[in-house]
Amino acid sequence: MNANIDATQAVATPTFTRKGADSPPVLVYENVRKTYGDFVALSGVSLQVNKGEVMCLIGPSGSGKSTLLRCTNALETLNGGRVLLDGVPLPTRESDVRKVRQRMGMVFQGFELFPHKSALDNVAMGPITVLGMPEAAARDRARALLDKVGLSTKADNFPANLSGGQQQRVAIARALAMEPEVMLFDEPTSALDPETVGEVLNVMKKLAQEGMTMIVVTHEMSFAKRVANWVVVFENGAILEEGPPSQIFDNPKVTRTRDFLSHLGWDG
Amino acid sequence: MNLDWNVIWTYRGALLEGAGMTVLLTVLTMLMALPGGILLALMRLSNYRVLRGISLAFVELFRNLPLILIIYWAFYVMPMALHVQMSAFTTALVALVLNISAYNAETFRAGINSIRKGQMEAALAIGMSRRQAMFKVVIPQAARRILPVFASTWVSLFKDTSLVSVIAVSELAYTSMQIRAQTFRVLEMLTAMAVIYWMMGYPQAKLVDWIHRKYGVKE
Repeated sequence: MNANIDATQAVATPTFTRKGADSPPVLVYENVRKTYGDFVALSGVSLQVNKGEVMCLIGPSGSGKSTLLRCTNALETLNGGRVLLDGVPLPTRESDVRKVRQRMGMVFQGFELFPHKSALDNVAMGPITVLGMPEAAARDRARALLDKVGLSTKADNFPANLSGGQQQRVAIARALAMEPEVMLFDEPTSALDPETVGEVLNVMKKLAQEGMTMIVVTHEMSFAKRVANWVVVFENGAILEEGPPSQIFDNPKVTRTRDFLSHLGWDG
Repeated sequence: MNLDWNVIWTYRGALLEGAGMTVLLTVLTMLMALPGGILLALMRLSNYRVLRGISLAFVELFRNLPLILIIYWAFYVMPMALHVQMSAFTTALVALVLNISAYNAETFRAGINSIRKGQMEAALAIGMSRRQAMFKVVIPQAARRILPVFASTWVSLFKDTSLVSVIAVSELAYTSMQIRAQTFRVLEMLTAMAVIYWMMGYPQAKLVDWIHRKYGVKE
């Protein structure tokens, strides 16, 4: 079965130039393996992410997309292979891991705002605690970021008094407060009411337009099609197919990619 | 039946001192058992097997022995085993702190474990150390959540200090019993004792109820 996947791992059409291909990749995954007991979550995944690229990871639940994301900022430890950030393998010492995590922002499916802090303090907390920034300066930065995600009027609200979409936008601002080079989104809209999905996707789209390097695990196929520069389809802990959205959504090289998309009701 | 309630007024000074001693024991015990409980809980949750083992042994030993036995043990056995001489008051304090620390450790551990794993991950993801994540994100939330349980422990402790009367610490129970022995006024003294404990305990219990309402988990 592995051989089959390897054989069918399609690459982009030769004429397509991938975004950011002119500079060295920001992230490189080399044969990344992750197991939980007998369960193989990632069975040797190799992938690269270019500077300024928006990469969407799609595929059925449990196919390893989120696990790969969590391996990127060392929330999970690898069982094999390696992840390189700017050509340097992820460190293992905790103090070094912290340095690496500061360069990557992460947004979680369940928001995970700190409920005992106001929206403003949620955003300012990273700069204050981790960067040692003076509180006033950190709050200024936080205010600017809340404004950027359209929540300048909600600065004093506590998470419990914000809608899901608002909470997720605060969470994005919190991640941006560390001025990361890469943003990792782990199913950022899966826990949202349908009417608030759009506001979060709009913020993400704006970030993408500003040139942020983003890896997005998502089930929002229209977002992947419109915003992603590169789409990776996962199945059973391996990459089924990767390519530009035009290939994945309009002309998939692998039959099972088509099957997966049609299961979602995707018809282009 | 010949009752003489005047005996209470006559000995009011001693009773008041006893009540003061009861409060002092409660406060001092909690002041030490609070950091003690946090320390034991953090040891229990640490990555080091030895620390986990020590904490587990401590908690399971002192949580599962009757408090009165710990008091006797601290009074009779500890001086011989450890070659230390302590006043009855200090001995009582040691026994109470051992017991309440064990309870607090379990309360804190449950509180910390009740905070979603994602909170720790979110803190780590912005670059915090485990220690920062624990003290800035997890423990502040856990503390709120366990406040009602903690308040209940406080009220239990307040009443359980009466047990140290068995080693002649002159708190309220011991003092009352001494007055009874001198005056033979059993009913009056037991009643006085009940009234004083109740009057001090009831507002605390009400306070606990209020804390339950205000800070109880509402998820």
